[in-house]
Amino acid sequence: MAVILVFAFATVSLAYERSETLVYGGGLWGAPSNWNPLTPWAEVTGTGGLVYEKLFHYYPLSNEYQPWLAESGEWVTDNTYLITLRKGIKWTDGEEFNAEDVKFTFEIAKDNPLHYSNIWDWLTDIEVVDSHKLMFIFDNPHYQEWKQILYDLRIIPEHIWSKIPADELLTTANENPVGTGPYMADSWAQDRMIWVRNEDWWGNEVFGKPAPKNLVNLVVSGNNVALGMLMKRELDLSNFFIPGVPKIKDTFGLTTWYKGAPYMLSENVALLFLNTTKKPLDDVKLRRAMAFAINPEMISEKVFEEQVQVADPTGLFGKAWMEYHSEDVVDEYGFSYDPAKAKEMLEQAGYVDADGDGWRDAPDGTEMRFEIIVPNGWTDWMESIKIIANNLQEVGINAVPGFPDYSIYMDKIQQGTFDMVINNFGSSRSATPFTYWNWVASDEINGEIVTDGNYSRYDDPELFNLIDEFNVLQSDDPRAMEVAAEIQKKLLQAMPSIPLWYNGLWAQSTSQYWTNWPTENNPEGYPCTWAGKWQYGSIEMLINLKPAQ
Amino acid sequence: MGKYLSKKLLIYLITFFIAVTINWAIPRFMPGDPISILLSRFSGLEGGREIIEGQFVQSFGLNQPLLTQYFNFWRSLFAGDLGISIYVFPKPVINVIKEAIIYDIILLVPAIILSWIVGNKLGAYSGVNRKADNIMMPFFYFLTSAPYFWFAVVVAFIFGVKLAFFPISNAYSSTVQPGFNLPFIFDFLKHWFLPFLTLFLVQLGGWAIGMRNMIIYERSSNYSKYMESLGASDRLIRNYGFRNGILPQVTGLAIRLGTVVSGALLTEIVFSYPGLGYLMLRAILNQDYFLIQGCFLFIVIMVLAANFIVDIIYMIIDPRVRLSYSGEV
Amino acid sequence: MAAREFWKRHENLYFALTNKKVLIGISIFTLMILLAIFGPALTPYSYDEFAGEGYLPPSKDHLFGTTLMGKDVFTRTVYGLRSTFAVGFIAGTIATLIGCIIGFLAGYYGKWIDEALMMITNIFLVFPLLALLIILAAYLPYRGIMTISIIVGMTAWPWTARAVRSQTLSIKNQGYVNLSRISGISVFRILREDIAANMFSYVFMVYILQFSGTILAAVGLEFLGLGPTQGVSLGLVMQNAVNWNAIQLGLWWWAILPGLVLTILVVSLYFINTGLDEVFNPRLREM
Repeated sequence: MAVILVFAFATVSLAYERSETLVYGGGLWGAPSNWNPLTPWAEVTGTGGLVYEKLFHYYPLSNEYQPWLAESGEWVTDNTYLITLRKGIKWTDGEEFNAEDVKFTFEIAKDNPLHYSNIWDWLTDIEVVDSHKLMFIFDNPHYQEWKQILYDLRIIPEHIWSKIPADELLTTANENPVGTGPYMADSWAQDRMIWVRNEDWWGNEVFGKPAPKNLVNLVVSGNNVALGMLMKRELDLSNFFIPGVPKIKDTFGLTTWYKGAPYMLSENVALLFLNTTKKPLDDVKLRRAMAFAINPEMISEKVFEEQVQVADPTGLFGKAWMEYHSEDVVDEYGFSYDPAKAKEMLEQAGYVDADGDGWRDAPDGTEMRFEIIVPNGWTDWMESIKIIANNLQEVGINAVPGFPDYSIYMDKIQQGTFDMVINNFGSSRSATPFTYWNWVASDEINGEIVTDGNYSRYDDPELFNLIDEFNVLQSDDPRAMEVAAEIQKKLLQAMPSIPLWYNGLWAQSTSQYWTNWPTENNPEGYPCTWAGKWQYGSIEMLINLKPAQ
Repeated sequence: MGKYLSKKLLIYLITFFIAVTINWAIPRFMPGDPISILLSRFSGLEGGREIIEGQFVQSFGLNQPLLTQYFNFWRSLFAGDLGISIYVFPKPVINVIKEAIIYDIILLVPAIILSWIVGNKLGAYSGVNRKADNIMMPFFYFLTSAPYFWFAVVVAFIFGVKLAFFPISNAYSSTVQPGFNLPFIFDFLKHWFLPFLTLFLVQLGGWAIGMRNMIIYERSSNYSKYMESLGASDRLIRNYGFRNGILPQVTGLAIRLGTVVSGALLTEIVFSYPGLGYLMLRAILNQDYFLIQGCFLFIVIMVLAANFIVDIIYMIIDPRVRLSYSGEV
Repeated sequence: MAAREFWKRHENLYFALTNKKVLIGISIFTLMILLAIFGPALTPYSYDEFAGEGYLPPSKDHLFGTTLMGKDVFTRTVYGLRSTFAVGFIAGTIATLIGCIIGFLAGYYGKWIDEALMMITNIFLVFPLLALLIILAAYLPYRGIMTISIIVGMTAWPWTARAVRSQTLSIKNQGYVNLSRISGISVFRILREDIAANMFSYVFMVYILQFSGTILAAVGLEFLGLGPTQGVSLGLVMQNAVNWNAIQLGLWWWAILPGLVLTILVVSLYFINTGLDEVFNPRLREM
């Protein structure tokens, strides 16, 4: 047995001092296997952020951009964006980082099918002005999308990636990632990824040195394991939704963003999509009545123990999005839990129990029966839709919960064969509400399958045009406000999807080894280790952490 | 002897062949599209998804005729290529499994062997000692009736939460450094103990009951009575019974291997112990068809290999099989 | 006088009813059946209702306490027990039927039929069933109690087939069966009159074991999340407890009691089985 053990663990054998190590989990779901910055959906979390850096960081709480690899960036004309890069940044293999790398990162997507290749539909050319200055020339600048690209795109080194054959760009595991970031891949085992601090990181002088010498990202199989580990202080930070945290957080000394309810920051909005291609869900009156019948308060209280907040009728949240939030529209077209009103609306619209079976029927007399689905095993959502079904039943609508396996759930969403479905895949916090609207009311609904949002398949060219228009408006354009209000109004009037609650940025930390966690009273940094979100302030959190005495 | 072995081997080969065929067929004839599932949660720029999807379908060879796919499946199988995992993309499935299977072996081999030995001893004791029998038997029945995973929960609750003697998840702490050093080995054993205990105890009941019944049966046989009348000691009679009871217990081991392996899979899940069971659950949750297939195949291989070993042991301890093999398989 | 005649004729029944193990087993089993049938009517709550505060330990109002969300664990257990019985009954019957048919055919006809059937049986026997079930269940989108029962039943028969075959072999070669065969009586009649009658007790015991075996297999699947996607089951209740941190949060009543009920049910079946074994095998009885 000893021989087997040695054999199994021979790959990992350096020693880590616990007091210099940050142990966290919640964003790594399987054995580390991929450090390819071109496949962000499959990368080990931290590949983008810890190793491969972005041009900017974006702080969602203050809604500010922090120049990162870039020193500055601005629209010099309506269709040219000038980026000036910081000087003196080196890739971890010693090569110098310069404008050619940035240009290459964009152009590799021009020549190869990558997830951001479509940018070339509206980007014309990139001119390298000098070794640290680039001009992006657009024929049709998508200002809003550009805002997201600036902090999303992982900049890769040309001297390495230009040598990788085209057919391996998506399949290479990139086991020796060379980036510019504050950490480097050190080692990994089946259940963990270990990062080691880059002592030569350019940011050490600019922002300060990240406190932990090593980061150990554990594969934690589920929230029950995470809770056990938090209780034993084995984890410093967990990014799981953990039932019971409000109950035991003080006993075990866990830190959450807010001391009391709702405990967590909001991260995305969970919506109930109503399939508008199915009768009678094509009737806006029915859809709106349902919005009044559902009690998200109860979901928050019972299922999430108040760890989530009830959603605004527009679904908007966070500083960036709320700048466009229209009070007037909500006053006029908003909704709130009011079963009496829901019943009244249903009566008026002709939804009465015609055949006397106890359930309301459609105005034309046909029976109504709806199934609300979420994936089997997604326990918090499963409980939530049981409540929703109950709420609907209380106003006389025959709705039942269903728990198909994930693949079937996705299939039903994509094929449009569902009645109602909860989803949040595209509603994550961002710098612009465009990302949310472009997902919740995507115009990509006429293909064989629908994959880019708008699962309701709500077809309103005017709405789509408004969203497209918003994309090509500068944020400070007064017209942007008008368009935004119009979009919110249309969505509320038609109610193709009902925003219900904000899923949290689940984060619980312990103070055995590290203190000074970001909280409401210490809002420096962002306690998040999920993939693709390190630019929201996770690096800043690492810099601000203090070793416990 | 040759005939016995070759017949067994033939069965194992056919089983393997069927397993591989099932393995190949199921994902291809069931609803749901693995590739689109893989990308379903990825939201990038508009249209970016379709581009990538096309690339994957090609690289997984899902656009070829079925028969070609089937032969390719066998060919790559012999080359040790089980495809690329989607869940831990782009790691080859075979490597993912290699890393996990060590934990199964470390858990299963000691649990099976020890519980077989201890169970048989206890059962034999119970078979001749009425007092012990009355106390132990209900306990054995309880053990053998308990679902593995439920027993794991009980063990985890008592030893892990209430008494807090042992950790209840993972194979070793996040704080120790894997390697051949004492702190690690100690820590590893601490994590290993509860899943081992679960497997050990649940199996124990079955072996004890089997051996006890065997002993009682033997004791009522004529030769035992004859020995008794000659004044032979209880111990001697028990030993005779024990020796006769061992053979069926070896056969029993072969029959129950599948159940034990299944039990181990479930136990691993309760303790988040990173063996094949745990891996398989993750694969299912992530709809990683290639990994599910790989796990399945290795579980089959593991059980077949174990069966074969039991066959050989059986042959060694029972000379009758060696000399004349006929009829019964 | 008549009573004595009756017991003499039904000697086994007499021994069964005086066997302590059988009696205990049957009592518990009956209790469980009653619980499954009347339990849901007895509790004032429904399966998914928020019955009270969360985190409540067992009390008069909540016999098995409440879950984290305040659902009544006892209510969930009795509803789950109901479907567990359904699975055991359906799957156990399927497994026993297939096992008996294959075992009988192989044992009775011998030769190549025996070879072929036993080959299939042995293949099924070495196949790790849970793995096969996992594969099947993972790819079956919607699964009800019925589906689960059928796939469990379809995979649980092999050892029954082997046992029935060897029983058939030994009975077949007894004089009276040979006599019937020589006198040209149809196979069906031989089966019914000679073999089935002699094997009834044996098959009954096999059925009991299949009942408990299939229950355990199904609960395992449910615990993996591969049970019914709709409805209620004991495995789901237990899986739920583990997923919602019942162990870590110290809600032992939620994590342990439903499984305890199941385990007691299985123990009762074992008791019946062993008791009957003693009844039919007098040598075991002496102990």
